[in-house]
Amino acid sequence: MKRREFVSRAGAGLASLYPARSWLGPWPTAAWLLIPMDDSQTDHLKAYGVAYRALKRGVKAEWFLNYRSGAFLLPSDAGTARDAALAGVMVEPVDDSQLVQIRGGLRNDNMDAVPLEKPPKVAVYAPPNAPPWDDAVTMALNYAGIEFEKVWDAEVLGQKLKTYDWLHLHHEDFTGQYSKFFLNYAGSAWLVEMVERNRAMARSLGLPSVPALKRAVAVAISDFVEKGGFLFAMCTATETLDLTLAADGNDIAASYADGDPMDPNATARMKWDRAFAFRNARLELSPTTPVYSDIDGHQVNSPERRQPLGSYTLFNFSAKIDPVATMLVQNHRQVIPDFYGLTTSFTRKTLKPGVTVLAEEPGASWVKYIHGERGQGTWTFFGGHDPEDPQHQIGDAPTDLSLHPHSPGYRLILNNVLFPAAKKKELKT
Amino acid sequence: MCLRLVPAIWSVLLLLPVPVWSQQPGMTRAFDLERRGDYAGAAAAYRAVLTNRPADVSALLGLERSLLPLNQGADILPAVRAALEAAPSSSAVYGVALRAWAATDQSDSVRATAERWARSAPTEEAPYREWGAAELGRQNRAGARAAYLRGRERLGRPDAMAAEMAQLSLSEGDYTVALREWLLAVRRLPGYRATAVATVSQAPPPARDHLLRLLSGETDLVSRRIEADLRAHWGDPLGAARTLAPALPADRVQAIAVLRSLLDQLKMLRGSEAKQAQGLVLEALAERSPEAQASRLRLEAAQAYTASGDRAGARRMLAGLTDDQAAPSSVASDAATTLVSVLISEGKLDQAAERLGQLQPKLSADEYDHLRRGLALGWMRSGDLVRADSAIAPDSSVEGLALSGRIRLYRGDVRGAVDLFKAAGPYAGDRSEATLRTAFLALLQPLERDSLPELGSALLQLERGDTADAIGKLERVAAHLPARQGGAELHLLAGRLSAASGKPADAERLLRAAAVKEAPVTAPAANLALADVLISARREAEAVQVLEHLILDYPQSALVPQARRKLDEARGAVPRT
Repeated sequence: MKRREFVSRAGAGLASLYPARSWLGPWPTAAWLLIPMDDSQTDHLKAYGVAYRALKRGVKAEWFLNYRSGAFLLPSDAGTARDAALAGVMVEPVDDSQLVQIRGGLRNDNMDAVPLEKPPKVAVYAPPNAPPWDDAVTMALNYAGIEFEKVWDAEVLGQKLKTYDWLHLHHEDFTGQYSKFFLNYAGSAWLVEMVERNRAMARSLGLPSVPALKRAVAVAISDFVEKGGFLFAMCTATETLDLTLAADGNDIAASYADGDPMDPNATARMKWDRAFAFRNARLELSPTTPVYSDIDGHQVNSPERRQPLGSYTLFNFSAKIDPVATMLVQNHRQVIPDFYGLTTSFTRKTLKPGVTVLAEEPGASWVKYIHGERGQGTWTFFGGHDPEDPQHQIGDAPTDLSLHPHSPGYRLILNNVLFPAAKKKELKT
Repeated sequence: MCLRLVPAIWSVLLLLPVPVWSQQPGMTRAFDLERRGDYAGAAAAYRAVLTNRPADVSALLGLERSLLPLNQGADILPAVRAALEAAPSSSAVYGVALRAWAATDQSDSVRATAERWARSAPTEEAPYREWGAAELGRQNRAGARAAYLRGRERLGRPDAMAAEMAQLSLSEGDYTVALREWLLAVRRLPGYRATAVATVSQAPPPARDHLLRLLSGETDLVSRRIEADLRAHWGDPLGAARTLAPALPADRVQAIAVLRSLLDQLKMLRGSEAKQAQGLVLEALAERSPEAQASRLRLEAAQAYTASGDRAGARRMLAGLTDDQAAPSSVASDAATTLVSVLISEGKLDQAAERLGQLQPKLSADEYDHLRRGLALGWMRSGDLVRADSAIAPDSSVEGLALSGRIRLYRGDVRGAVDLFKAAGPYAGDRSEATLRTAFLALLQPLERDSLPELGSALLQLERGDTADAIGKLERVAAHLPARQGGAELHLLAGRLSAASGKPADAERLLRAAAVKEAPVTAPAANLALADVLISARREAEAVQVLEHLILDYPQSALVPQARRKLDEARGAVPRT
């Protein structure tokens, strides 16, 4: 080892022993702050919040795809340094010459820099009194400190969606069957309230039943995407949204939801061209089994069909050719433990051609994380309920994300939040 | 002669038991092929055996096993038909037949086979149970339920296949029906109780009250035992013990078995209620046990009651036990020891001292010292430092030094207390005592005074439970000390005590006095405590400012991670803990 190299390495080692320095404030000589997203990061999830709030302050940022697991570059200013220190987010000072070196690497490898310009206006579809700890996206946004507004049926049908860039759906049952818990949890206070609230909403909007209400909402959401909106859905919202759209008014709801039983030939009457992601699925006819169709590979609520949890693997995409898919899979882990939801995964046989698979369980007949386009907008579906609560049960204690600041599953959610901030002309897919 | 022997040989062969048949070369080869994973070869070999002996159950089961991994389950049907022809009353053949028809999705054949089997065995549950299992294999729960109900009707027994019905209901999330079925099953076969409790205890919390009401409507011991077990599972150990008590059978042996079973469950639980419930069960066991065992059980009950804080219960158990000449000596000694502890905790220190004096010859040195330290602590808490000192004076153990340090401190001898605490070291006593001692050292070391009687008096008041008086005294002492020389630490202590006493305004004033730049070691802790007070008062915005100040001004403090956590809580970014 040459002396110069030794001195340089020793200096770097000594600097790493003094991490608090990076939180103390701006560096007089550093023009930039790099938020690394590899294993050196002290809070991966809050790092997204620091980047988002910088955008809110009017700062221009960059997302270095595939560089240090998706690092962010921000101008070095007191506001960003203070925000990172408060959030416990690791930032590194970078001067212009270091930045030139980094950009050289971005040019030569499977990496790219995507400008982030405008903080996306985020809406979360949830009932007004939904607890904040029952939805992974709400938890991630709250923890990272990313602003959002809640919308529900009245707002969606009242054309309010066009005021947002990004809409998130979680475990809403768009077939209007209350997650098919109606019979098994009959009498439970939370279910009684859910049923009453939805029926009241349907009545107030002049719709004959909850399935009719949810169908109208699903169509409005489809229009939102068609006109350029970004849709991100998890858990059962993914499957039921597509089923409702494909049913196209055909009765796929049990009698407890709309007064008459499901059409026994519903499977044959589905119009899959209306759906975002799926086709040729077979519908579950039993009103008591909390399963909708064979879209879900894990069938968690069917003891005979339930599949065990494995791990899913993120795909590698070309950062320069496929920046959108690359953004959505930025992570410091390539293989991530799976987690259940009412819809946990998506069977390969029911995916439409053209759907981009972002993560799969190798060797299994299902995939985990998919993406596609509709009209001028895009949609992303992520199976499962809570990445850090693999066996989530009704009544479980809420997940505390301060105990999971490096959660790779939650990072995927937050990739989706920042993705609409990327400058449009950079998006090639 | 040879011709005359033939009938005899056949009769011997026909009388041979089945395993000998299966040891014949054809079966051996088939088993071997199957074991080696050559399922196609094994299936062919089993078929060859079945050609000659169509009702050979081992070969038929082997063929079924071999066809399964080949995904050729339906191919067994010809062999099954032949086996049924040859052995129309064999339960094993019917079982295979049902599974075969079910695998080929031929529900009419499943039903017909089951009905035929049931006709040949009209008093058995097996045909209906296997029929139900075959339907479940086809994911047809409704079909399985129909099979079980038909069996009940035919057999004329409403409790037939209750365990299967219970499992079926559980798979549908219907805990109410499952519990009703389990009651039927356990009444018929008590061995099902553990499974019944294990499965029903998984019911979601909102459903539990209803299930307990359902059980309380039943009057038999089976229901009471299941109710008690479920209450114990669901965190109500006292309810479990009280549910079972009035239902105990008159038969002593049976009652002891029932109580022991609950006691085993209760011992896995923690907390004072679990301890008290253990005391109740042990007391009930003692009442039903021979005297030699009863005294030991009463002692265990007394210890459980003591641990739960139920001193009356402990005294009730110990009464008479200490002086009972019939009780084994070890039991009497343990009882006397427990009684001294109870007397100390009740504040009856003279009685405790007298008992301890009498007991001394029977105790080991360690046991005696332990009790004497407890007595000294009791005197100290009563405010009698002289008697506390004399009780602990001969004790040179590290625990004794630590206790002597506290007595010095309460007398205002700061230097002497610090010296004794240091001499005691960090490991004397249990964890809470060690933590308290460390906290005292942190409080005393910046003082730079040898003696502070007002501080000793304040801390003694605190030891005796007079927090309000202690806070006032601490604040007065703190007012005369520079922040860096203990003033901030004493303000912090007074502030924390005020917060714990439900006086947020006083707490805020005291903590702000502690959170000053002049005391950079104390300020982060004071800020953190102040943020807690503000969050409790729903003044989150102010708490956020305090916490941000802590994180940004004291970035090297060990409390920064905790401050970030609280900042998240104040902002609603994580659930409150």
